[in-house]
Amino acid sequence: MSEPFSNLGDIVADENFPGVDMALRRGRHVHKGDEAWYAFLYDAQALLEDFYHRYGYELVHRSDGYFFLLPASDSLSKRHLSVAEMIVGQGLALAYLDPKTLERGGLITREEFLNQLAGAMGTDALLRTLNPKRKRSDERIAQRNARQKVGEALRRLSLLGFVELVDAEQLRLAPSLLRFAEPVRGLEAPSEALQKLLQRGEVSLGPGDAESADEEDDSGDGETGDGVTEADANDDDHSFASTGESELPLQLEADEA
Amino acid sequence: MPAPDTDTTHAWLRELFQRQPALDLSSLDICFLVALQHRAQQLSLAAFSEQQLLDTFGGVCSLLEPVAEHVAARATHSLRRLREQHLLIRVDGAGVSRAGEFSLSRLGSSVVDFFVEDEALTPDNLELLAQTLLASLNDVLERARAAKRPREWQAGVVGALRIITGDLILGIERRQRGLDIQQEEFQREIARRLQTDWFGAIERCQEILDSTAATLRQLNQLLLTYCHQFQTILQDVLDLACTADQAVAEAVVHRAAGQIDRIAAWGSARQSAWSEYYDQVHRYLRDVVRLDPARALTQRLREQLNGLEASPFALTVADAPALAVLRSVVPLPPPAPVRRPRAERNPAPREVALDPAPDPLRARVRELLSEGQQELSELTARAIEGLPAEAHFASAGNVAEFAALLAVPRLSHERPWVQVRDGLVIEDWQIGSDKGEAPPRRAEPGLATPEEAMREPATPEQVVPSDTLSSQVGPEVEIARSELTPRSDA
Repeated sequence: MSEPFSNLGDIVADENFPGVDMALRRGRHVHKGDEAWYAFLYDAQALLEDFYHRYGYELVHRSDGYFFLLPASDSLSKRHLSVAEMIVGQGLALAYLDPKTLERGGLITREEFLNQLAGAMGTDALLRTLNPKRKRSDERIAQRNARQKVGEALRRLSLLGFVELVDAEQLRLAPSLLRFAEPVRGLEAPSEALQKLLQRGEVSLGPGDAESADEEDDSGDGETGDGVTEADANDDDHSFASTGESELPLQLEADEA
Repeated sequence: MPAPDTDTTHAWLRELFQRQPALDLSSLDICFLVALQHRAQQLSLAAFSEQQLLDTFGGVCSLLEPVAEHVAARATHSLRRLREQHLLIRVDGAGVSRAGEFSLSRLGSSVVDFFVEDEALTPDNLELLAQTLLASLNDVLERARAAKRPREWQAGVVGALRIITGDLILGIERRQRGLDIQQEEFQREIARRLQTDWFGAIERCQEILDSTAATLRQLNQLLLTYCHQFQTILQDVLDLACTADQAVAEAVVHRAAGQIDRIAAWGSARQSAWSEYYDQVHRYLRDVVRLDPARALTQRLREQLNGLEASPFALTVADAPALAVLRSVVPLPPPAPVRRPRAERNPAPREVALDPAPDPLRARVRELLSEGQQELSELTARAIEGLPAEAHFASAGNVAEFAALLAVPRLSHERPWVQVRDGLVIEDWQIGSDKGEAPPRRAEPGLATPEEAMREPATPEQVVPSDTLSSQVGPEVEIARSELTPRSDA
């Protein structure tokens, strides 16, 4: 880290400021992997905390090595992560804590991640959580829908700075994923920790805002009574190809155990 | 266009592919090769007899697969596979006349080295290798200074650089690869220890990280120092080779310099990569392992994930809309008018020479008039005599026109229709004397053509006596005359 900034003018005049400012306001978590941005925020932290406080934001710096903006009032634009994003985020946090991921420098493939997620939750629970409105379940459709939701959640989490999509197959995990583990990091009961986070405005109870959008997507015009669209029935992996994911091995023996 | 060396490489690759090289080795084959190499080193054997090969295979088989049957047959198959893949070669050259002697090929030795050799680059062996290489290069420089003839360049510089220096550099590179493998093993060991021991593994992980980082730092410093000296000496040799116009020596020096650059780049690249890994593991040890000695976080997070369906919660993130950056609007230019290629619709008029050939019909009419023909019907009949029947009708008109031009027709009220030929009847005129190429009737002063009389209002001076008009023009003009005559009585 270089010398801290002495006045706000220097911060605003810094070449990193516009990019960092816009990214933070859009919910981005700036971590040590974002070397230049992290160093800039580290040096400007004291002045930027006051700066953002006037807008009603709180600039949070965690010892795990990441910054983010927390909306401190209801008048500011904010959103709550969807169920799919929360599941994927916690799954990624689990992978981050795994020493095997450490061996590979924080890299994990999508396939490995999906295996781990299915192993941690169980295939049925994962499919049920990601397909809450499906009454009659077609396993193939449900799996495909789950893969789509996981792929979309990964994309959104990458925009928020929790994970980096290195290529079509590889993911690089960021320390900001530990935010998903905040309710269970302390020695207190998770419910108490969650209550404190709720008071600080870091979390909200219930499914997130974005979930409603996902559900609307699910109940589109072309959907049949059981929630299966014609495209679902005819198209095997078309939409999944765009995210570069292979067939999700949800039928794992490990998760059944 | 590909570079020449690329062409050579491509040709070489195509040739190699056509030979269809392949390696297919079982674990037992590899162990057999390792056992052969080990036995050769132990007993200082330059080659193996067939019996020694069979004995070695039998020993390996009894050790690794004690329940295996038909050991001799399996040995035969294994030896055949190794020979077909050029891992084991016959070295006696005696053919089938007697039992052969065999040795591991360079490929076989390399396979064995890959699996058993654990020699990695250390500061000690790098120091030793680098000093030897430095002495060798200094020796080459001295020889280059003393070399006067091409043979001396070849023996003292080219050969030494290719063999001695090349082997020493390859030795360093080989040990670098060994260290790469060792680093991967360290990374696996760190993960394994954390997996099994968690909090108790911190010390050992820290130790591995620090020792490897220190080794890499030392190696990098040594490489930077020595490589600079190597390059200086090689530059001197290159200057001498250029002066002496020794192209082969220049090429060999360039190649050696490239190898030196490569081993120097390895040092900084590995140190940088390990530094990144070092930071990551340190962060992990500090933020995850030390703060969670019982490794409860993973379990609690797993429970939280499983309980999300029952008691959902969601993280809150800022979601300010993107800044609306107004941009200056540039009005669209007006659309281009519709155009099409211009074509020359009316070509410019050009001068053409008149046909100088006289009209034979006109000449014939003139001739007949000069003979004194008085009747138009007779004139027409004689003028069109030689013409084809289908041209008679058109020619009759022409004859009348020519007759009117060349002579003065005498019109009368009675103009009988006379048959000239079969199917051709004309109104007969009386023709007066020949007047030559007569101008149109307008030529006569005071007389207007019928068309002009109809078109232009006549002035009183232009009016001619009625008897003149009636004798010159037909009844149509008679009508015009009655209209144009001034009313003197008015």
